[in-house]
Amino acid sequence: MTDTPHRKLERSATGFMLAIVAAASVGGLVEIAPLFTIDDTVENVKDMRLYTPLELAGRDIYVREGCYACHSQMIRTLRDDVERYGPYSLAVESKYDHPMLWGSKRTGPDLARIGGKYSDFWHVAHLSNPRDVVPESNMPSYRWLATTPLKLSNLPLMLKAQRTVGVPYTDEMIANASADARGQSAPDSEQSAGVSERYGEATQVSAFDGVATNVTEMDALVAYLQVLGQLTKAAYENTAAPEKMPDPNN
Amino acid sequence: MGQLTSGERDLAGAVLVFMAIMGVAMAAVGGSEPLGIHGVMVLLCSVGLLFVLMSTAFGPAPDPARLGKYYDDPIKVGVGFTLAWAVFGMLIGVWAAAQLAWPALNFDTSWASFGRIRPAHTSGVIFGFGGNALITTSYHVVQRTSRARLADQFSPWFVLLGFNLFCLIAVSGYFLGVTQSKEYAEAEWYADIWLVVVWVAYFVLYVRTLARRKEPHIYVANWYYMAFIIVVAILHIVNNLAVPISFTQAKSYTIWAGVQDSMVQWWYGHNAVAFFLTAGFLAMLYYYLPKRAERPIFSYRLSILSFWGITFFYMWAGSHHLHYTALPHWVQNLGMTFSVMLLVPSWASAGNALLTLNGAWHKVRDDATLRFMMMAAFFYGLSTFEGSFLAIRPVNSLSHYTDWTVGHVHAGALGWVAMITFGSLYTLVPSIWKRERMYSAALVEVHFWLALVGTLIYVFAMWNSGIIQGLMWRTYSEDNALVYSFVDSLVAMYPYYIARAFGGLLFLIGAIVASYNVWMTVRTPNPAPSPTGDDLPIGEHAGAIPSAAE
Amino acid sequence: MEFTHDTLVEASKTWGLFYLIGFSICVLIYTFLPSNKKRFEGAEREIFDKEDAPWK
Repeated sequence: MTDTPHRKLERSATGFMLAIVAAASVGGLVEIAPLFTIDDTVENVKDMRLYTPLELAGRDIYVREGCYACHSQMIRTLRDDVERYGPYSLAVESKYDHPMLWGSKRTGPDLARIGGKYSDFWHVAHLSNPRDVVPESNMPSYRWLATTPLKLSNLPLMLKAQRTVGVPYTDEMIANASADARGQSAPDSEQSAGVSERYGEATQVSAFDGVATNVTEMDALVAYLQVLGQLTKAAYENTAAPEKMPDPNN
Repeated sequence: MGQLTSGERDLAGAVLVFMAIMGVAMAAVGGSEPLGIHGVMVLLCSVGLLFVLMSTAFGPAPDPARLGKYYDDPIKVGVGFTLAWAVFGMLIGVWAAAQLAWPALNFDTSWASFGRIRPAHTSGVIFGFGGNALITTSYHVVQRTSRARLADQFSPWFVLLGFNLFCLIAVSGYFLGVTQSKEYAEAEWYADIWLVVVWVAYFVLYVRTLARRKEPHIYVANWYYMAFIIVVAILHIVNNLAVPISFTQAKSYTIWAGVQDSMVQWWYGHNAVAFFLTAGFLAMLYYYLPKRAERPIFSYRLSILSFWGITFFYMWAGSHHLHYTALPHWVQNLGMTFSVMLLVPSWASAGNALLTLNGAWHKVRDDATLRFMMMAAFFYGLSTFEGSFLAIRPVNSLSHYTDWTVGHVHAGALGWVAMITFGSLYTLVPSIWKRERMYSAALVEVHFWLALVGTLIYVFAMWNSGIIQGLMWRTYSEDNALVYSFVDSLVAMYPYYIARAFGGLLFLIGAIVASYNVWMTVRTPNPAPSPTGDDLPIGEHAGAIPSAAE
Repeated sequence: MEFTHDTLVEASKTWGLFYLIGFSICVLIYTFLPSNKKRFEGAEREIFDKEDAPWK
């Protein structure tokens, strides 16, 4: 048996592998490549602000606890979605979301516009034991968040990594990350002034878990929940009507 | 591992020492953080394996005659891993299902709350059970169809054990709160990098083994395994590109943002279904079904056409997970179109399998193993039809975010993936351990009915709950107001959540029965040496076996 | 040439389609090429050749 070049090629199955790659990559390329230029189509919204260090930490807790497994953050362009949860979600609203948390299942309700709907106190009570507030709920309780201190030393690292992947945090924001987290959860403190200075007047400064003297994971998670849907007002100004729900009768 | 040559033992030793050092380093920088705990686990695994290796290290050189046989030792270990992960993953699944009906079942602990055990369930069954089944059967099929022994004796172990280390790190991480939140790709950056290393070794091993084959033509089952290996590598790398916040911490942020990330995640997510949970399992179907039925595949050409159809169309379909969202409209429509077209190659595969059985229905009646494979092909047809249907925008507006999706996934996962795996295992186990048949045919029969009834209860419960939920969300009164609050729809779900947990429990019991049956098959000694001689690869003993093709 | 979103979308819609058609034609030719008939028929039966006989 002589090994001609052609025979070698056939034996190693190179052509076959290339064909698999060629067949399989084109779908991804065609769909994903245009998304690199998606910024062209996403409106530039002036009032879009960044997550504060405390909110970002809360977002990471939301990720860690797998909240996305039961709650979506994506209001579809359907009438019943819009009437139940608020104006439908725009692409720009998740432009700083690494990763996105649109979700795929609503065992619980959508949270895209939960911010501001309930008081901080309600959220703390609900997270501590959901059945105290909603008797029919099957959500787990997250009592331990209120007694777990937030790891402030990680915050500058988190902001820096976010900047590496494209979120425009400034040097000043990174340098003050830990102080800003403390300030946002301690109203009227010296540090709280810096938060609104760096992240905008609309930033909510509050003793989220009811205790202003320490920063817990509960503070962070409630701060995050309260900012959902509040980063920009663009969706409320969007006047395009939602798509009609398909009529099952025709 | 007794068959390793001295060179391979040295290599294995060096790799394990390197791994142990990596473990120490991770433990040192991670401290009591999750990364440190994972470092300790890596260290323990490497040292444990080093002990196993040392116990054979100074033994005599392996018998050269081994090269005239297939290398089946890693397959035997792989069967054990497959079944262990099946029981573990399904147990966590039943627990998670029960928590939705009785939320107190997490005992108020952080590690057992639904959000953390849900990825432990999905990774446990998809990667632990499914992944081990794929690696194990691929080692078997590639050797038999190529008539060649695995290319070497180190890399099969490296791939199998390395992959299980990945699963261990991933799943234990979820309990500790280590997750990227990317569905079906939750493992963090260090586990992802390790998987790339393992996967490259798997790819090289597979290609080298194929290159030793006798026939110029590669049997179609190997095509599916190859597509599985190659495409999963592409998907895994693109989806998991991330920047760690520090090399001493587990946390990282994906480089993709918002709408881009949604497309990348579901491009990955849907193709994980396609190339992890479909392509590799179709490979099993195309080898074990004809073998068990003792009939050649109905149409070989059809299997080629459906192979390219599946490889081509699936890659476009991911965006049907994002209907009516902020993703650009044309991408949604593209996803819908290709999802519907996908029905053609999918049904071609399912039809090909069922037509292969045409004329052997008496065997299907008598042999529960063959019935597993027949049911798998049936559920494959059913869930691919359902998939195309759910990808249509107006249908999706009702089904999305509800339990209907969960029911659809499990029709595929329980009915198709798990059933074809069990059918293949019941064919593979007696063959590898050189037994005439499984320890108990009655237990295979029991398992079949547990699996079928469990799947049906599960799927019907989720269809009902999903459709009810979807309809309640969009019910309007005559004066155009929403009739039901969200909580009303949740209350309506409870009976179905209980039924679903029960269906899952039946399926879990079936997997335990299977494990017992396999264990007893292995333990029962071989009755008599086989009269016709051994199962040999061709070519290694040049001239020993007359070659048909040359 | 500038890579705006619209040009990329345009390209993927046209070239993607051509690619699909071209690829399908190649697959069809490969599958139904008469000279490949023998090899496929061989492959179909190959898996039954002796290799499993020992313990059947």
